[in-house]
Amino acid sequence: MQPTSELGRPELKAKTFRRMGTVVSLTVPVGPEPWTAAAEATLADATGVVERRFGELDARFSLYRPESEASRLARGELSLREASQEFRDCYADAAEWRLQTEGAFTPERPDGVPDLSGLVKGFAIKEAGALLQSRGLADWCLNAGGDVLVAGSPIVGSRAAWQAGVVDPQDRTTLIAAYPLGGSTGGSTGGSTGPRALATSGSAERGDHIWTRGAGVSEFRQVSVAAADILTADVLATAIVAGGVRMLNRATSGWDVEVLAIRNDGGILATPGFRA
Amino acid sequence: MRIRAVVSATLASVGILVAGWQSGAHVANTASAVGTTAGTTGSGTTGAGPSGSVGSSAPSSGTSGTTGSSSSTGAAAKADGTFAGDVVQTRFGPVQVQVTVSGGAISDVTALQLTDDGGRSVQISNYAAPLLRAEVLQAQSANVQTISGATVTSDAYLTSLQAALDAAHI
Repeated sequence: MQPTSELGRPELKAKTFRRMGTVVSLTVPVGPEPWTAAAEATLADATGVVERRFGELDARFSLYRPESEASRLARGELSLREASQEFRDCYADAAEWRLQTEGAFTPERPDGVPDLSGLVKGFAIKEAGALLQSRGLADWCLNAGGDVLVAGSPIVGSRAAWQAGVVDPQDRTTLIAAYPLGGSTGGSTGGSTGPRALATSGSAERGDHIWTRGAGVSEFRQVSVAAADILTADVLATAIVAGGVRMLNRATSGWDVEVLAIRNDGGILATPGFRA
Repeated sequence: MRIRAVVSATLASVGILVAGWQSGAHVANTASAVGTTAGTTGSGTTGAGPSGSVGSSAPSSGTSGTTGSSSSTGAAAKADGTFAGDVVQTRFGPVQVQVTVSGGAISDVTALQLTDDGGRSVQISNYAAPLLRAEVLQAQSANVQTISGATVTSDAYLTSLQAALDAAHI
């Protein structure tokens, strides 16, 4: 890695922690003034807030924790009706997404056990983002296992967008594309804020939360979706991997999103936002 | 397989529309047709590549017209602008495309309306078309501040570029 202090390149500070089976990082730009102990403390505090929220949601929704509410539901010790308000709200959201994606996204495993893991990471990012906002942080980038939500700019006081790279599924040490998030360039829409969220789902290293329809082999190896909010990006990326070209076309016509989809043979389908 | 057939037929209609427009049949605002022939020249830069799948065949034939026309533009008057083709009824529903012309060559082809597999019309403002790798926004890893990728396990994740970037920034 090259140093970030090179001319014209934003200087950033990041804190990371492990949660939900992955790594979460919070990145903020270093302002025109030198990085101080106070700034370090602010970042550490903010990371702590994010980590606590992720921890709470993980404790409730993880199927890998035997004592979690999700696990108790899976074992039949608890019914949905007896579940917490938060669990039921999340489940209702997921059911609504299932409706809107015509079943490509589903909150249940094939055996009928409620499985909200496809929604919870996005939900946690969204919640953490709201907490950061409420603490008055203007410029930040929150990345949880490759799902990204940003605010503001990587350069304090500028309108520059965060540049998010998309991993090449055929060679995971390289990037296949980049997409600008946040900032306020807006391009053709004139000064408006661009999408703030980018989520990528894949079938190569997929989690158990992507159930494909029918025979079960996905057309797409990897799907990235940029959207105004992280839940839409995350859910639609998952749904397109599961639902194929049909779901891809449904997503691009029904939502204000940009999509980069990589077929199993390496072919690429992309909306104009991903074009060079 | 009905879906594939419909998509194929519908997108083929788009290709036909493009050809029709290029031959001057649907130009509404100009007296003279753009001097291009229908995209018969080589499949050029935007072919679907090895995938060759049904869903991607038509857009590539549409855009291959772009590369073809840039070199084959004739002496006829050039009309720049964005033009919507006629809405054409197919047995799968209405289909309409929009073409952007600059310097007498088609620079972009967009589907405004296609039909879904139920025969219903869908308005399309944003359509995923086949691209070559060279055509996606290229990212030099040193110029991105974060990485999006499908990662599930933390071990796999830690070997990814994000971890490297995180380490570099701390």
